[in-house]
Amino acid sequence: MFIEIGHFAVVVALVLSVIGIVTPILGLKTSRPDWVRTARQAVTLNFFLVSIGMAAMIYAYLTNDYSVKYVAATSNSKLPVFYQVAALWGGHEGSLLLWVWILTAYSSLVVWMHWRTQPVTMPYLLSVQSLIMFGFLSMIVFLSNPFERIYPVPLDGKDLNPLLQDPAMVVHPPMLYLGYVGFSIPFAFAMAALFSGRLGEEWIKVTQRWTLFAWIALTTGILMGGYWAYYELGWGGYWGWDPVENASFMPWLVGTAFLHSVMVQEKRKMFKVWNLFLIIVTFSLSLIGTFLVRSGVLSSVHTFATDPGRGLYILIFLAFMLALGFGTLIVRSGRLKSRVELDSIVSKESVFLFNNLFFLVAAVTVFLGTLYPLLIETLKTAKVSVGPPYYNAVFMPVALGLLLMMGIGPSIAWRKASPDNLKKNFLIPIVVAVITTAAAWLIGIRTVFGMAGALTVSFVSATIVMDFAKISALWARRYEINYLHAFYRAFTNNQRRYAGIVTHIGVLVMVVGIIASTIYQVEKVVPMHIGDTLQLKAYTIRMAGLREVSGANWMGQEGLFEVYQGDRLITVLRPQKRIYNASQTPTTESAIHTIYLGHIFLTMPDIQPEGVTVRGLVNPLVLLVWIGGGIMALGVILNIFRPRMKTGA
Amino acid sequence: MKTWHFILVLAVAGLLTLFYKGLWGDPRAIPTVLIGTQAPMISGPEVRTGETISTDRFHGKVILLNFWASWCLECRTEHENLLAINRRFSQHPDFVMLGINYQDREKDALEYLQVYGSNFDHVRDIKGAISIDYGVYGVPETFVIDQQGIIRYKYVGPLVGAVYSNLTETILQPLLERRPSPSS
Amino acid sequence: MKKTLIITLIPFLLLFSTVSSRLTATTVEEEKIDLQVREIAKTLRCTICQNESIWESQAELAHQMRALVKERLLKGESPEEIRAYFLSRYGDYILLAPQKSGLNWLLWAGPFVLLAAGGLFLYRTLSGWVARDGAEKQDVPPPIDDRLRKRIEAELHSRED
Repeated sequence: MFIEIGHFAVVVALVLSVIGIVTPILGLKTSRPDWVRTARQAVTLNFFLVSIGMAAMIYAYLTNDYSVKYVAATSNSKLPVFYQVAALWGGHEGSLLLWVWILTAYSSLVVWMHWRTQPVTMPYLLSVQSLIMFGFLSMIVFLSNPFERIYPVPLDGKDLNPLLQDPAMVVHPPMLYLGYVGFSIPFAFAMAALFSGRLGEEWIKVTQRWTLFAWIALTTGILMGGYWAYYELGWGGYWGWDPVENASFMPWLVGTAFLHSVMVQEKRKMFKVWNLFLIIVTFSLSLIGTFLVRSGVLSSVHTFATDPGRGLYILIFLAFMLALGFGTLIVRSGRLKSRVELDSIVSKESVFLFNNLFFLVAAVTVFLGTLYPLLIETLKTAKVSVGPPYYNAVFMPVALGLLLMMGIGPSIAWRKASPDNLKKNFLIPIVVAVITTAAAWLIGIRTVFGMAGALTVSFVSATIVMDFAKISALWARRYEINYLHAFYRAFTNNQRRYAGIVTHIGVLVMVVGIIASTIYQVEKVVPMHIGDTLQLKAYTIRMAGLREVSGANWMGQEGLFEVYQGDRLITVLRPQKRIYNASQTPTTESAIHTIYLGHIFLTMPDIQPEGVTVRGLVNPLVLLVWIGGGIMALGVILNIFRPRMKTGA
Repeated sequence: MKTWHFILVLAVAGLLTLFYKGLWGDPRAIPTVLIGTQAPMISGPEVRTGETISTDRFHGKVILLNFWASWCLECRTEHENLLAINRRFSQHPDFVMLGINYQDREKDALEYLQVYGSNFDHVRDIKGAISIDYGVYGVPETFVIDQQGIIRYKYVGPLVGAVYSNLTETILQPLLERRPSPSS
Repeated sequence: MKKTLIITLIPFLLLFSTVSSRLTATTVEEEKIDLQVREIAKTLRCTICQNESIWESQAELAHQMRALVKERLLKGESPEEIRAYFLSRYGDYILLAPQKSGLNWLLWAGPFVLLAAGGLFLYRTLSGWVARDGAEKQDVPPPIDDRLRKRIEAELHSRED
């Protein structure tokens, strides 16, 4: 019964989304503000309606109602309650519902917050958001209905994919969608700016916090996905350049370019068309990602079930949105005349442009790598693979270029950097970088990747250290306060800038983690018996036992591995090999011991009477990848919640 | 129209076309590179007798290779057809049929052959070397090698229905009717 | 100047040397062949898996392929020969890094060509702007540092109360 109510609510939401598309435009054309208000009510109501749909689904999960086909396919009576709720986004239909729910939540919130302050934008925003809602709601209602009943009712559900029965997977999809969908807000504002002809800096100022929020959610989502892959897939890596990972990385790259580029428009009123272009591309990439994941054009670990009809529908919707976005840009941007003012190529403005170029090339690289197999398949009916070795060779140099720019950008002057300015800001970092690289060579780092990494990371770190040191010294001198206090006051006085630098520090920490865990990683795969030992760097791992274990919905075996450093026992690791009862799917559960920000990582991929295959890794400093991610997020939070800056005297 | 307008429209249109075409492709279908190349030599123990079988012996003959495993459900659907092929062609002096037991336990393979019966020899691929030599993705897979030792045919999946009749009528029958060229 | 340099440098060297000594001192001499197996295996796709190399995959076929890589290495084959062997059996699909030939150059060189072209385009556009701006305004604007200094001072004063 509840399910029918939920289904009905979602169908009503679909109808209301049509009203939301049409009425604001009509209201605008006929100058009837009450029609725009109708659209607002429709959008807000949609949030409640889709919430009812969500609640009905969750209720079906909690009551083990397997007469609902989707619940029967993704849940099981033995599945822990925690995962029963998350199972909703464990498959295609339910995750689509979550997508729409987040969209309606964003839309009603934005309308509620900006209704008074942005009256001109609202009709367009309502219409664009309703259009996206319409696209996804009609897909739910007509092609991917999670409310569908099944008869005869199965006795029990097929269970959630065991790989997804993991805390990170509970939070990862909502985070990712908060990011993807969040970019629809600046997109809608940009559309409104283009249609209304109010192409100033206002839409950027208004949407800045929304964009930052979407960015932080997407970043967190990606990092969580990486951590999940790291310990759940059992091969000890956190990024596999899988098409689905790439699909989330592309909007991230262009979105990040956008976040940088808008600063130029705010400060110098330049690059207006460019910024519109960037945000349209960012949101388009979110939609393209959805298409790639759900249409089955690419095979990947994470793709949902294939269905050309469904794919065709998303493709039509995607084509419509791309035509709308880029079409509007082409038709309306002719009105835009950015007043370009530039005094020198050696200036912050041009570094921003080069930063954008690198971000775009990085995105194009990922895009090309992801779609190249598809291209070859259609052109030559041949098959190729594009995997990590390609990205390591092509993406990494571009990424290092970006990193280098991260050192130059914040310190170089606007308009024109004098030789004096350059010398003051960059001479010491260059010296530091050269010395550090030499040191890297001396301690035995010989790979190009490692050396280039040491060079760029030390250069950028040095610019940041100098930046902080200088500003603290300046303020300390002025106010005769101690350095720490001075640093705090300088930081909060221009929190936007320094919060940005905190994010940069996060990037650096992450890069150190990536480089160290790549070049110092030790990995062995060996067959072992009880009593055997495995030597990983300074650690001796002794297999002490193997026993049967079981959980609520699985049975399996657990290995007992004593880890010694010298003669000292430091820990006992217990990796598992599980078989989930309902689906009979095996999983390998890794066992991790954290030591000096690095990991000792063990899995048992295969257990045979002849021996246990053990994969052992030492991943030095690998935790820095996620600590760095945390610092990046912290920087953005400091940016979102910055105190209002005093306008210049 | 400015240049960048043109490029943008072209790029978006190209992308959408690519996606559209991609929808009808099968991401799992993989073309083989082996057809027309010299078939690798096979040597290994027979599943039941344990005696070594080597394709050296079959020089100048048409060989049908079938990769299978006891855990493979699809292999069971084609099993009767395999037996039928051998019954039909085994009288022909130029025909040899070989099963290759892929990633299997000896015990399970033996049991499978006892339960379902077989009228041709099966080589155990212990280290997977034969399968890798033949670029095998999964079982069942079937190859036909001609009198000159060239791979003429490959099929991934069970030999049932049209696939089966296609193999016997348009591949095996014509190959066997052809006289071996005197040069070989 | 020198003082700043030394002050900036010290934390780096300290951090760097402690970290890296921890990392390297403990490295034991690994069996070279296993490292080579790993390197090669990471460039070959597990053909029955989705997006995993034969190094990462736990499939039986991947396991056997790894064993075969090792066997061929022990026989004295070079990594390139081993990759060529797998290529001849499975086709382009098995290489995780496509061959550098034909259309694949689009993949390998495309990003760098784009980077170079984009860079050139940016450089020329920017120079154009600078030249035009320079022609418009005869006198060069005052150096930014002066302005910035003034603004900082003003801001500092405004904070005094």
